[in-house]
Amino acid sequence: MKLGDVVGLIRTQHSKEEIKSSIAKALDLINFKPKGRVKVVDIKPNLCYYWHSSTGSTTDPLVVGGIIDCIRERYGDDVHIRVVEADATAMRTKHAFLMLGYEKLAKEKNVELFNLSEDELREEKSCVNGVEIRFQVPTSLFKSDLFINVPKLKTLSETKFSCALKNIYGCIAYPKKIVYHSVLHEAIVGINKIIRPHLTIVDGIVALGKYPTKLGLIMASRDPFSVDWVAAQIMGFNPSKVKFLKIALKENVGNLEGLEIQGENIAVFQKYFPKVGFFSSKQWWNTLYSLFLFYIRLSDDVIPPMLEK
Amino acid sequence: MLSVGIIGLGNMGMLHLRNCRHVDGVKVVSVADKSKKALKKAEALGVKNLFTNYQDLLKGPPKIDVAIIALPNFLHFESVQRALEEGVDVFVEKPLASTVEECEKIVRLVEKSGRKLMVGHNMRFIEAIEKMKVAIEDGRIGDLEVVTLEQILNGPFTHGMMPRPVAEWWFDPRKVGGGVLLDLGYHLVDLFRFFVEEDSDVILSHLSYKFNLPIEDGAIIVLRSCESGARGIINVGWFQKSVFPEYNFRVILHGCAGFISSESLVPRNIYFHAIKEGTKNILRRILRTKIKPLSYSYYYEAYYKELLSFFDCIKNDLNPPVSAVDGLKTLSLIEQAYKKSNKQ
Repeated sequence: MKLGDVVGLIRTQHSKEEIKSSIAKALDLINFKPKGRVKVVDIKPNLCYYWHSSTGSTTDPLVVGGIIDCIRERYGDDVHIRVVEADATAMRTKHAFLMLGYEKLAKEKNVELFNLSEDELREEKSCVNGVEIRFQVPTSLFKSDLFINVPKLKTLSETKFSCALKNIYGCIAYPKKIVYHSVLHEAIVGINKIIRPHLTIVDGIVALGKYPTKLGLIMASRDPFSVDWVAAQIMGFNPSKVKFLKIALKENVGNLEGLEIQGENIAVFQKYFPKVGFFSSKQWWNTLYSLFLFYIRLSDDVIPPMLEK
Repeated sequence: MLSVGIIGLGNMGMLHLRNCRHVDGVKVVSVADKSKKALKKAEALGVKNLFTNYQDLLKGPPKIDVAIIALPNFLHFESVQRALEEGVDVFVEKPLASTVEECEKIVRLVEKSGRKLMVGHNMRFIEAIEKMKVAIEDGRIGDLEVVTLEQILNGPFTHGMMPRPVAEWWFDPRKVGGGVLLDLGYHLVDLFRFFVEEDSDVILSHLSYKFNLPIEDGAIIVLRSCESGARGIINVGWFQKSVFPEYNFRVILHGCAGFISSESLVPRNIYFHAIKEGTKNILRRILRTKIKPLSYSYYYEAYYKELLSFFDCIKNDLNPPVSAVDGLKTLSLIEQAYKKSNKQ
């Protein structure tokens, strides 16, 4: 049985030096020591779409840069570091790397950018909640000595929020991940049964709730489930009512035993996080959209293709 | 009955196809697109003749009277030229062509062929813009001194209701021909020309590249009209995460006697506006009168109104409100802005 883990919370500022030292402090806080020698490191940010990191939707390259500096300081300059991401339904990794500042970062820090959708793939099955789900999994992730998950702290209408476990879902190599949306919660848990990061460092410097906000948070843990349990509370959700966390508990992808918060008080971040209300929820949008489609049928009016599902 | 062929069934082509269904005396008889999925959609909307290449559509059968061209920018010149050579009237999405030289050739071809050509400058047909134009003509704001125009959104990177990858040609500078200045800046330069009705020059141009693309995603330019000296300050960007249905667009006309802002002329509450206009359309349908397509959205409605205006010109043998010369002059200013920016 997997146990929960220490989650370190550190307050930081949006500057290169400050971010790097906050990441180092967070790692010390959770007493992070990788097993064995570190030669190959994979870092997975969240680059869900071509939205700038200041929108709170994508991982800030400064955070990934800070992680790279910490790795080099701790494990030497000869560590091979890759920043990895997979194509998504609407996002192409090559464009996201360029547009979101990762190509610049790769040149500056001499690291490799790698599209997981172009990796050697293997098909894996996962049975979650009685549902069997198949995934195209990139094999090279399993060869890294240190796989670091670097999600954003953000709300998401489909799953309430997206953080550590959801960012691993982004490793699925098949671009049209929308095919999993009918079993999204199960798919998140399923892929986390297969791919386990060694470390999760959350970019909560700019977090996204009802609107983006400078939360100034770096969060770290060895266990992605523990991270999500704490993240849910920061964003104003009851974690025991979040469907994918409930399934994760049931499926032993996570455990509350051993979960412990270190560093800053969670209340500091809870207070400033802009919580989402009903009018930004998926249910509200679905209701509006259904009414709109009903109107189109009733009136024979035109629907612009951009508003079509 | 005018027989229409639509070339290109991306977002714009598909919108025109749907709008044509609501125009009296018009029938879309053929469509052309490389995508079989798009052709199937058109077939479901009642189009009988489906082509995978536009040359075949232009040659027919069936013979068409009007071609609506909604292809990527780099294909505009070639397709407009072919359509005019086939002797059909043309509605082409903006820009008219990729270069001033190509636009000049099209202007000559239009004159020679005697056909009608209209460029899709849809923003002129937004109700608020039409009202602002009337306010200038009525002298309500006195002499026009400064026009500020802003449009900042996600552009081609807008995340639609159904997530789809952005078409690859948007990332190819040779195919797209330019960035936000050509995409949104073009519309706002045209609006400035529409308001001042004079030739103008670019006096300042600054381009920015927030997203590291080879094409600009931000542009600020200043124009000055040659006779009255009215200035236009244009601020466009693709860098903003657009949150539907918010629409970050505004125009302010500053004259010697007062000012007028588009924001005071667009619906204050877009939801209430949509409900009000939607209810009217439902009633129109019940009463078997013509509905006003897209009236629920002050922005999308303009696409229907521009088509309506084009078909009216053909039926009544009038000059189109946006001619090939307008397309040429607007693109000339855009080219000027690019050249000026490179010198900075």
